[in-house]
Amino acid sequence: MSEPLLRIEDVGVTYGKGATALSALRDISLDVRSGEVTLLLGPSGSGKTTLLQVMGCLLRPSQGRVSLHGQALHALDAEALSALRLAHVGFVFQHYNLFPTLRAWENVAVALDLKQFPPRQQQAAALQLLERLDMGNRANHFPAELSGGQKQRVAIARALAGKPGLILADEPTAALDGKSGQDVVATLQALAHRENCAVVIVSHDPRVEPYADRVLHLEDGRLVDDRRRHGNQA
Amino acid sequence: MPPSPALIGTSLLAWRNLSHDRARFIVTLIGVGFAVLLMGVELGLLVGFARTTSGLVDHSRAALWITPAGTTNVDIAGRLDERRRFQALAVPGVASVGKLMLQFGFWKKPDGGNESVALVGFEIESDALQPWNLVEGRIADLQQQDAVIIDRLYADKLGVKAIGDTIEINSQRARVVGFTRGLRTFTQSPYVWMTHRNALAYSRYQPEQTTYLLVGLEPGADVEVVRHALGERLGRVDVWKRADFARQAQKYWLITTGAGSALLLSALLGLVVGIVIVGQTLYATTVDRLPEYATLRAMGAPASYLNRVILKQAAISAAFGFSLGTLAAYVIVAISAYGNVAVIVPWWLLVVLAALTVLMCAFGALISIRRLVRIDPSSVFA
Repeated sequence: MSEPLLRIEDVGVTYGKGATALSALRDISLDVRSGEVTLLLGPSGSGKTTLLQVMGCLLRPSQGRVSLHGQALHALDAEALSALRLAHVGFVFQHYNLFPTLRAWENVAVALDLKQFPPRQQQAAALQLLERLDMGNRANHFPAELSGGQKQRVAIARALAGKPGLILADEPTAALDGKSGQDVVATLQALAHRENCAVVIVSHDPRVEPYADRVLHLEDGRLVDDRRRHGNQA
Repeated sequence: MPPSPALIGTSLLAWRNLSHDRARFIVTLIGVGFAVLLMGVELGLLVGFARTTSGLVDHSRAALWITPAGTTNVDIAGRLDERRRFQALAVPGVASVGKLMLQFGFWKKPDGGNESVALVGFEIESDALQPWNLVEGRIADLQQQDAVIIDRLYADKLGVKAIGDTIEINSQRARVVGFTRGLRTFTQSPYVWMTHRNALAYSRYQPEQTTYLLVGLEPGADVEVVRHALGERLGRVDVWKRADFARQAQKYWLITTGAGSALLLSALLGLVVGIVIVGQTLYATTVDRLPEYATLRAMGAPASYLNRVILKQAAISAAFGFSLGTLAAYVIVAISAYGNVAVIVPWWLLVVLAALTVLMCAFGALISIRRLVRIDPSSVFA
């Protein structure tokens, strides 16, 4: 079996100190591999978002070890963590987090600019990504002119800029209607399977589970279930 | 396919952040423009005053000025004896010595009322100093016994309408034979040009007295050597190089009267106003867009990328505000050409203003940059 893209070992995250300390994650250990869709389930306050922050190099755990692409995070400063995120992680947010003053293709181009794509090639590359997500005809629209599903597709295109190995999606269907939500999850699944990237989805949405290769259950900051699904929806 | 972009990356973000909120952008530009206008006009006034205080010296062709000992500026001085002229002519390297008289007098207007004026008596046959920017009449007309030339800017003040008008200077008849344009005086006693001979007649000077001696040098003569030799030979006088005397006159009027510091203070105020306006509007824009900056940070943008967006916003504000401010300043410069107070904005002052504008906007941007340093990328999941 190949080396995991992301390895989490005995990770704990505690907010605050002393009597007011709150454990958000306890003794979490898991590997995330390329080509898989991993679904993180759990009730509110179970630590899903905290775990996503740890996976995305946005939060250093209070204990344990995290390594992404073989690089241990605990020794890295904020700028080095940024560089690691830039190189290997793409984010898809619940509320899209698109830049409202930029057109769809410009939103994607900003991500390419961050990855130091040659300026002359940014527009063409951004349009190509939008075409892949069937958003080519909306490339010149501002986010306010797009539907929720279209916005999320632009957000996925932006997350894909520069071909990151890991895509982290936080409740990507929460703000979408049934059809749009299913389309978005199907797109994420296709990315994982066809382009061999690892996709981790945090969701409450039962419509997501059929698309997952693996389902993790969190409760009170602990990983209580880790099961692989076979014959998922393709 | 959308048209090829003119802006990408941080430039695009900076421009859109500003232009998206047009009302705030316009306020920023008016603020920066006003600050540039304020600095430009105050510093332009300073330059105008400085040039006015030393105008007579700057426009002379004399390499050296011999002045009564202790002279601090060109407008107020004691008297020199004419024998000093012959002593000066005997110094090696001296080619010519012209006389210049400067004396305050009373000007009685045709319709009554008095004004203080500065009588400038020069030797018409010498080119050491002559009225410049003559727009009406001829210098040769001054050879008539009662002839004077004044500046158009002060014609109304002196009750004069046209060539041929007669008035009284120190109770003696005088006639206007010409006009200059733009020869201002810092003392607000307008210069009245006449021959040295006539000036003696209008003043209480003795025939062998004058105010200044203007020295021309032989070709190849070392100005510093001649200056030193004149000082030793003449004694109890001051010998100035032209530029030094001009600087001394500027220093005297701008520092001793407090005019210089008042203008500098006002310019500084303009700078502070600009920093506050730019700082406040950039900060408000930044705070409005904190979630977007956090998203950029989460996407892996280094802090320098975010700082570049802010600095480019500041640079855009600086460029547009500077254009607006200098345009307004030049309108005032053009209007001031017809007034008693000159606002002069030479090219080097424009460069100084541009540098101050950049400084102002960069300082304004610092507050926003400080805020972004503390941004938490994990807040995107909050």
